[in-house]
Amino acid sequence: MTSRVARALVIHELLERVRDRWVMVITGLFVLLASGIGMYGRAAEESAAAVAAPSLVTLAAFLVPLVALVLGHDAIVGERERHTLGLLMSLPVGRGEVLLAKFLGRAMALAIAIVLGMGSAALLVEAGQRAVLLSLIGPTMLLGGAFLSIGMLVSTVAKRHATAASLAVSVWFLLVFFYDLGLLGLLVATDGAVSQDVIAGLVQINPAGLYRTGLLVQLSGATALEEMGLAVALPSTAVKAALWSAWLAGPLVIGGLLLGRRRAVTA
Amino acid sequence: MKLSVDGISVRFGAVLALSGIDLDFPPGEVAVLAGPNGAGKSTLMAVVLGLVEPDTGRLLVDGEDLVAAGARAHRRFRERIGYLPEAVAFAENLSGLEVMRFFARARGVGKARVHEVLEKVGLKEAARRAVRGYSRGMRQRLGLGIAILHEPELLILDEPTGGLDQQGLSTLWAVLDEWRSAGRRVLLSTHDLALIERRADRVHVISAGRLKASGTPDDLRRLAGLTIRVRVAMDDMKHAETLAGSLSQDLAVPVDLGEDEIGLSIPSSSVFAVIRAMDSAGVAGVRVEEPGLDAVYERLLEAP
Repeated sequence: MTSRVARALVIHELLERVRDRWVMVITGLFVLLASGIGMYGRAAEESAAAVAAPSLVTLAAFLVPLVALVLGHDAIVGERERHTLGLLMSLPVGRGEVLLAKFLGRAMALAIAIVLGMGSAALLVEAGQRAVLLSLIGPTMLLGGAFLSIGMLVSTVAKRHATAASLAVSVWFLLVFFYDLGLLGLLVATDGAVSQDVIAGLVQINPAGLYRTGLLVQLSGATALEEMGLAVALPSTAVKAALWSAWLAGPLVIGGLLLGRRRAVTA
Repeated sequence: MKLSVDGISVRFGAVLALSGIDLDFPPGEVAVLAGPNGAGKSTLMAVVLGLVEPDTGRLLVDGEDLVAAGARAHRRFRERIGYLPEAVAFAENLSGLEVMRFFARARGVGKARVHEVLEKVGLKEAARRAVRGYSRGMRQRLGLGIAILHEPELLILDEPTGGLDQQGLSTLWAVLDEWRSAGRRVLLSTHDLALIERRADRVHVISAGRLKASGTPDDLRRLAGLTIRVRVAMDDMKHAETLAGSLSQDLAVPVDLGEDEIGLSIPSSSVFAVIRAMDSAGVAGVRVEEPGLDAVYERLLEAP
């Protein structure tokens, strides 16, 4: 990003988000819960990798997408409703750049929350086990980034803030809460007619599934999926990189195109 | 810079927001868009800013049509524009200084200018306070400061007087005078007739998306067919009859003879001729009554 305006907007967005009381509260909650997991890991006789890390992954898999969606959903529609979008768009900047700058500023705020949460858990376990928990930060940021990108798309599609909020919560329920249940239902309903490869593929194309399965194998070894009854191979690193890139950039690009095509940007 | 709009039309669904608007914005002028709510004033400003794409028409800047040239050309043009939107709002959890610094960074303006502008708009003391604690007038002044921060060639102000106290109004008058004397342009919309009377060089009356009239406030009075009323108090009504006869003949305007005064309805261009005629006739007690701009607008907006 070379635009002077876009660079200024990244800093502005970050500053605005870290001052946001809601972001402070949710970050505090994440730190609190992650710290609890860290303390539990320290108290357990097994290693932190075996006890705290899977719990931390489960916590992050539920909480981080919600935080990211809430951070992203009002980026454009919120500005429009607060009557601040006109002033912003009167600057010499492209619409796509505004969306990207907002994404980056909010992603930085999200990264701070993730580092504080994961970092606090890591600080509470034995020094020798910290690296395992700290290694979760990168994938968790990818997960947050993917859902933030979806949130940004929601913010460009929705005409009203309330609609965007409803859409964001629906996306969270759908991809994080009901998705796996739906796949389970599919398996039961088809009585095994759908192959495990298809089911595994469907798990992997969901960023929450990609995050969970990837870290499960990273933490518990290659046989972890087999123990859960999924005798499938995980996608290669290149495929995983492509999937993460698609989730990070795809919704954002679609949002940028939609915003660019809108005749009246402030209406 | 040469700036004009040519045949601009904007339709939102079934609503025709602007219909074939042609306007020139000469340098060194304060141009006012006047008209009722929903007339299309803000839409026209949004077209100039590139926030709304017109269905037809051209926005000409130094001969280049920005509508045809596309978003990149419009983005370059926005470097030269300062904008104060109607009901301006900012990030509530940031201070006035932080908001101003963001726009300064975005515009490539230094810190010294930020402090200079904050002082100019009377927010130096409140600069470190969160915007959420600002009154409407303070927000308006902050918005005005942001609009003038980079000393743009074109200042677009949408209803700039809303919520402004006397100090804010004085700042606004000073800014308008500064922009005019520097040969820059101001395009503003307002319902504030006092602002139009005091500062407008040219007024464009818009109603239901159509341009009803354009000109100086005096031109509009003429266009509206409203004349200036001159009343002359008379002690000697015999002398009044003679004077009325001669004025009627010289100025070719109807003269009414009252009980103790004569009245003339004249165009504004004849005011000095009438006063000179009175003076040479040795008549004192001349009272000039201009029709208010409210009456002018009412008349212009009623016109088909």
